[in-house]
Amino acid sequence: MSLEALAERLRPLLGDAAVLTHPVERHLYSKDAGLRRTEPGLVVLPTSTEEVAAVVRAAADLGVAVVPRGGGSGLTGGAVPSEPAVVVALTRMDEIHEIDAVGRTAWVGPGVINLDLSEVTRPLGLHFAPDPSSQSVCTIGGNVANNAGGPHCLAEGSTVAHILGVELVLPDGEVVVLGGAAPDLPGLDLRGVVVGSEGTLGVVTRVLVKLTPNPPDVRTLLMEFDEVRQAADTVSGIIGAGIVPDALELMDRKTLEVMEAFLHIGLPVDAAAVLLCETSGHPAAVAAEAALCEEVARRCGARAVQVAADEAERQVLWKARKAAFGAVAQMAPDFYLHDVVVPRTTLPEVLDEVYRIAERHDLHIMNVFHAGDGNLHPIMGFDLAEDGVRDAVMAAADELIAVTLSVGGALTGEHGIGTEKRDHLPKVFDEVSLDAQARLREAFDPEGRFNPEHVLPKGSRCADFGRPLPEGAWV
Amino acid sequence: MTFPELLSSLSSHAIHGAPPCDLTVRPKSPEVVADVLAACSTDGLRVLIWGAGTHQGIGHRVDPDVVLSTERLDRIVDHRVDDLTLTVQAGVTVGSIASTLRPHGQMAVLPEEEKAATVGGVLAVGASGYGRLRMGPVRDHLLEVLVATGDGRLVRAGAKVVKHVQGYDLMRLSVGSLGSLGVVVEATLKLWPTPRASATVEVAMPPDAGRAFRPQAVLQTRDRTLVMLTGTAEEVEAQADALGGESERGLLWPDQPRPRDGEGLWSVRVPPTLVPEVVDRVPGEFVAQHGVGIVEAPMDGPTAAAMREWLEPLGGVVVLLGGHDALYADPGPWGSDPAALDLQRRIVARFDPDRVVNPGRPAGGI
Ligand SMILES: Cc1cc2nc3c(=O)[nH]c(=O)nc-3n(C[C@H](O)[C@H](O)[C@H](O)COP(=O)(O)OP(=O)(O)OC[C@H]3O[C@@H](n4cnc5c(N)ncnc54)[C@H](O)[C@@H]3O)c2cc1C
Repeated sequence: MSLEALAERLRPLLGDAAVLTHPVERHLYSKDAGLRRTEPGLVVLPTSTEEVAAVVRAAADLGVAVVPRGGGSGLTGGAVPSEPAVVVALTRMDEIHEIDAVGRTAWVGPGVINLDLSEVTRPLGLHFAPDPSSQSVCTIGGNVANNAGGPHCLAEGSTVAHILGVELVLPDGEVVVLGGAAPDLPGLDLRGVVVGSEGTLGVVTRVLVKLTPNPPDVRTLLMEFDEVRQAADTVSGIIGAGIVPDALELMDRKTLEVMEAFLHIGLPVDAAAVLLCETSGHPAAVAAEAALCEEVARRCGARAVQVAADEAERQVLWKARKAAFGAVAQMAPDFYLHDVVVPRTTLPEVLDEVYRIAERHDLHIMNVFHAGDGNLHPIMGFDLAEDGVRDAVMAAADELIAVTLSVGGALTGEHGIGTEKRDHLPKVFDEVSLDAQARLREAFDPEGRFNPEHVLPKGSRCADFGRPLPEGAWV
Repeated sequence: MTFPELLSSLSSHAIHGAPPCDLTVRPKSPEVVADVLAACSTDGLRVLIWGAGTHQGIGHRVDPDVVLSTERLDRIVDHRVDDLTLTVQAGVTVGSIASTLRPHGQMAVLPEEEKAATVGGVLAVGASGYGRLRMGPVRDHLLEVLVATGDGRLVRAGAKVVKHVQGYDLMRLSVGSLGSLGVVVEATLKLWPTPRASATVEVAMPPDAGRAFRPQAVLQTRDRTLVMLTGTAEEVEAQADALGGESERGLLWPDQPRPRDGEGLWSVRVPPTLVPEVVDRVPGEFVAQHGVGIVEAPMDGPTAAAMREWLEPLGGVVVLLGGHDALYADPGPWGSDPAALDLQRRIVARFDPDRVVNPGRPAGGI
């Protein structure tokens, strides 16, 4: 009822074409790249900050929940509403407003596609460093909301290290600009909190990104191993030798087989695992670092190390990495991509355990992941049409989390909590710490209308902890 | 070290006079910190947090009832050498972290030129070192925190792995918070391998410094411009040769400029492209961090006020790091109120509702 009223109120403001009420149109927004699907009650496609603010204010008036949405490539249900809500799709706010080539910054709309930004800035010798494997479909707004990572975040850091400022529409409709081009602005670092907040603190309507100079030289190595453990040892060995390469990605045999069947590029399908290792920078550094990485790999038992001879060969190697998820379809009709982080030194034992879990539940599993960060991405392939398969997948996922936490790891490295991992959060934070998270959220969104039921489990806010707020402290 | 001893060892721009209160508590555990803060909340006492005293000049003056010293929170809790993480209590100093890590060929991204500063203090004020151009600010290397909130709860956030997005980023929120959420009592830092080689090259500025690829720092003082290079020996040598000029091994950080009578030490923070213009306008000594956007310079009140008037509309700020009391009244330590001040107040009200920790000290007088 209130969604209908909201639609009526928004039509004159946004135009009929930007207010989607027809079930077929809405259905397109019912899912992200995860497994959960919910039909959104209403979808709007604003084109400006003012329009977003108008939508948010109207939703506040009518008590309607708000769910921001970017490219819909999230894997944890982040952009999929949990209750009747208006989905605010930011894809039309895809303007690159201004680029400062000297200061190496740009103000961009949240709907700008990650890869497009780097393409546009390429002639200036600059790029946006975070490069999630989904970079041809995910948006900068989504990257900000999830604090996305990617292969090159090993040396460069996740999205948050590349976001200088955000314009945010708060849940009451107020527009604020947090952060800026100058460093260390006084006051709380609200920019840092908004990054990674998964659409629960407001709608990001503009982003000030830091651009990174394209390296003068780059070298990409493909290291082949007969045992997964040797690859994992090489990861620790390289970093122990004092080098943080740009990227250090592991692909196991299953991945290689699937990729080769998909791409036909001559991948070593008989290897147990390969490492894709890239160093970049000054030509002198690149040569020395690549030589050292190769030496470590050989010492750890690599049976072969190929070096990409030119940019074309390099692109082929990266294609194998970045197309991996697309190729999963070859393995099974449905897939579930997990994301956990373990201390790098525990990679070999955790990987053994991952294979055992898959075997126990009779699931296909491939491992292709950011090994340098210890950030695992086991991908399970299956057919949802099969009886009981969803339960098996969920059970396997839970076991994987149990293994992760038993070695002191984290629930997620880059995909976020969403609804998928929400109920695991009490396993890593005690009640007081969860309550603190809920307090922060409450300060932004006292009514809990932004992406409700996401990120924090029910009952996180326990008023019993600490002293009650004094009169008037709610400001 | 006793508290009076600590005081006498303070650096010149730390604070003027003794800490303004007689009652000092030195808790030995995070739990006791929380207990102290809970008690102070109940009794409505104002608490000043004291690390090594090296950054006490930042922010509005606090007139405390109690000083809480982190000096005995001095434990290195966990160094996971192969995982490149280090967990320390708040009172551990930058210098002792460096000496713990050195034998392992590792480093933490902290202001290495400020050896006496404590980790808690560095995080509370958000002090990044000169190596920031290459390494990024200190907040980008904080993986986990344990915070004793103003109302005495012990809150943990983050995780002890080098990358994660597990819940809201209370780590970054606490960096630069000046205690408005509470006291950071323990922190896990992301470590990095120490670069294999480093050099300091003196160049003519501009435009020579711009030719270096990813230098550690480009620092300009009144009489020279230094490019700090780090990396493999091959890279450092090649880059130093390409730059020309005098080159020395190691990173030879310049001294912080010293204020003269009547002057304070100010941190001018601007979009990095404005640094050359700021340098043209500062009256005396300075250290300018090119590419970062920070110029530290001694200035008297009227000069700082004029600088502020010019820069605030351009997105800059002029922050007082230390000086005599009059400067805190006029032109004041922060300048205009920060963005989203109401929202900041709402957050602070949920962590320190009675405002017991460093009350009034942060920007906007929170
Ligand atoms: C094949 C594949 C590979 C992937 N690889 C990676 C990878 O390597 N690294 C990685 O980190 N992730 C990866 N992802 C996950 C996903 O692409 C990222 O999380 C991405 O950042 C999501 O962006 P999006 O625009 O698609 O956001 P959506 O999925 O639309 O939304 C994600 C979250 O952001 C919120 N949101 C979106 N826009 C805004 C906004 N403007 N303001 C406020 N909140 C907003 C939503 O509410 C939601 O909670 C991958 C996904 C797929 C399908």
